[in-house]
Amino acid sequence: MTELILQALYSGLLQGGSYALIALGLALVFGSMNVINLAHGELVLLSAYIAYTVESKLGWNPVFSIPVALVVVCLASVIVYSVVGRIKKNREINSLILTYGIGVILTNAILLIWKADVRSTGSSWLQEAFVVGPFYSMRSEVLFFAVSIVMIVGLWWWLSRSWYGRAVRAVSSNRDAAKLMGIDPRYTELVSFVVAGILATFAGVALFSYGVISPEVGNTLTVKAFIITVLAGIGSIPGVLIAAVLLGIAEALTVTLASSALQELSSMALFLLVLFIMPNGLFGAKGRRG
Amino acid sequence: MGGFGAGVAHADELLVGVEVPLTGTLARVGSGMQEGIMVAADVFNKANTKHKIKLITIDDESAPAKAIAAVEKLASQGALAITGGYGSNNIAPAADAASNLGLVYVTSGGVDDSLVNSGRKTFFRINNTAGYQKALLGLLSDMNAKSVSIIYSTKEAPAGLAKDLQASLKAKGVVVVAHPFDPAITDFKPIINKVKLQDKSEIVTMVGYENDYVGILRAARVLKPNVKAMIGVWSLATPKMAADFPDLMPNVYGTAVLPFPATFKTADGKAFDAAYRAIYKKEPDYLGQFGYVQSMLLFEAMARAADKGTLKKNGIAEEMRKTDRETLIGQVKFGSNGDNQNFSQHMGQHQGGKVVIVWPQEATTGKINFPGVPW
Repeated sequence: MTELILQALYSGLLQGGSYALIALGLALVFGSMNVINLAHGELVLLSAYIAYTVESKLGWNPVFSIPVALVVVCLASVIVYSVVGRIKKNREINSLILTYGIGVILTNAILLIWKADVRSTGSSWLQEAFVVGPFYSMRSEVLFFAVSIVMIVGLWWWLSRSWYGRAVRAVSSNRDAAKLMGIDPRYTELVSFVVAGILATFAGVALFSYGVISPEVGNTLTVKAFIITVLAGIGSIPGVLIAAVLLGIAEALTVTLASSALQELSSMALFLLVLFIMPNGLFGAKGRRG
Repeated sequence: MGGFGAGVAHADELLVGVEVPLTGTLARVGSGMQEGIMVAADVFNKANTKHKIKLITIDDESAPAKAIAAVEKLASQGALAITGGYGSNNIAPAADAASNLGLVYVTSGGVDDSLVNSGRKTFFRINNTAGYQKALLGLLSDMNAKSVSIIYSTKEAPAGLAKDLQASLKAKGVVVVAHPFDPAITDFKPIINKVKLQDKSEIVTMVGYENDYVGILRAARVLKPNVKAMIGVWSLATPKMAADFPDLMPNVYGTAVLPFPATFKTADGKAFDAAYRAIYKKEPDYLGQFGYVQSMLLFEAMARAADKGTLKKNGIAEEMRKTDRETLIGQVKFGSNGDNQNFSQHMGQHQGGKVVIVWPQEATTGKINFPGVPW
């Protein structure tokens, strides 16, 4: 039993890392702009399909698709912003409807271009078992868990130390006051979307490297990212990692100790329980978004 | 969306509605079925001078409500019968709509037995759970399996098949441990770890879809449970899986009506093969084969009804009930509930990038590799 639980904790930890990578972009845009980008999962998926194309057409390791994917996904992200940025009133609600529509369009575009077949990497290097003591995982899971940590630290540093990062926080805190300080809110928001696109790119390549993709999974990714973002508390970037890991471990333990059929139920139960006790999420401060 | 064209049927033209998922979660299987339907129309039209089949296709977007709307729209456009349908939860309401309109609905896309046990008079199905279960039980019996872990999706069709399989195996004295999983699951390692450390079964049986098989096989490759065989059901022993996942498939078993490369001995099979390759420039697969058979049987029934002048007097359903002929998936004969009484699947095994039929004995195209695991 100990061996089972240890492996479950390890699998949950790695799974949490991948969830965090997927959720970061959504959390950034949600926290900085009050925009719930329901097309975020599709942006992740777009990157995953670019990784697939690079691997299948050029025979390269999917990791080498990152430069191409960065250009395409960031461009797509800018296009999404160019539509969402026009919303004048009720940003949270209207962005929900608008980005849902964009997500549907993206899903169908992916379906048209890449067909409905399921895809996954053929790279044996990425799929190879990585064994440390009693812990088993795929090499790609460990690699992208590390990438996830680097991304979170980088994003945290960017938001707290860089001029643009501070500008993003200033706009999210008080748009009018930020304007008076000489910050261009639209440009700052655009930067947020581009950074979210960068995060989605890495998440997509990671997803293709250890998971299975098909055109309809974008929606599932968005829902998972949204749950993590709310669970973490709006605006908390380190909280995203902790919430994602909690979710991953809760799911893995549910499979190990109860039934795998209850996995999704357990994550929703955790989500509701945390929100019931802490309505602002695990690390969300009251009135953070002024 | 147009198939071969839309419009009102001429006197010698038999208008058939095609309701399939071309987008949404079932797009891949729906598209595969649609290919077979198109090939059936092509083959039928080339072989028949008296009657011509004209297809109108509507994408049901993998949604039950859209499936109903599609059937109703097809009927309003003059369709005399419906072929297509994928997913029992989509087929059931669509078949009800067809039944209310007095239209025959024929499918191979749903294995839930409630489809044929709900009293629909114009519903016909050419495959069923019993046929898949028979093949799985046959192979497991040949392997002399003493303990089996069943990993299955909680979706309706796989869950139904897994539960029936579990009951049948238990009745034979086999130790069975079942692991139902949520369709949204992405990491199968905790389940495979349970198989490895707790179940310690000889054989793993997977009942799900392509994405599930890839996830399970990957997890098994990492954790390496001490099993003798990894066996799946539909969508696994296919040329597509052999081509897309060459590293995961070696020695894996799955239901397969066709070996790969596909070989056809009958005239009907050769006609299907030639037309399929000409239209789609690729190897025919099982989805196309099922779509072809269900549609060809429908077209033939429609032609017979047209000859008798009973097309609009429930004649198509009557002719479908009279069907009793050898097809690409074996002998098809419908029972009073519209289900094909003779359906029985074969089992295939991925060997060297090909799919070899390994069960039943009379259909084998090569020797079984057992024990056979993909690592």
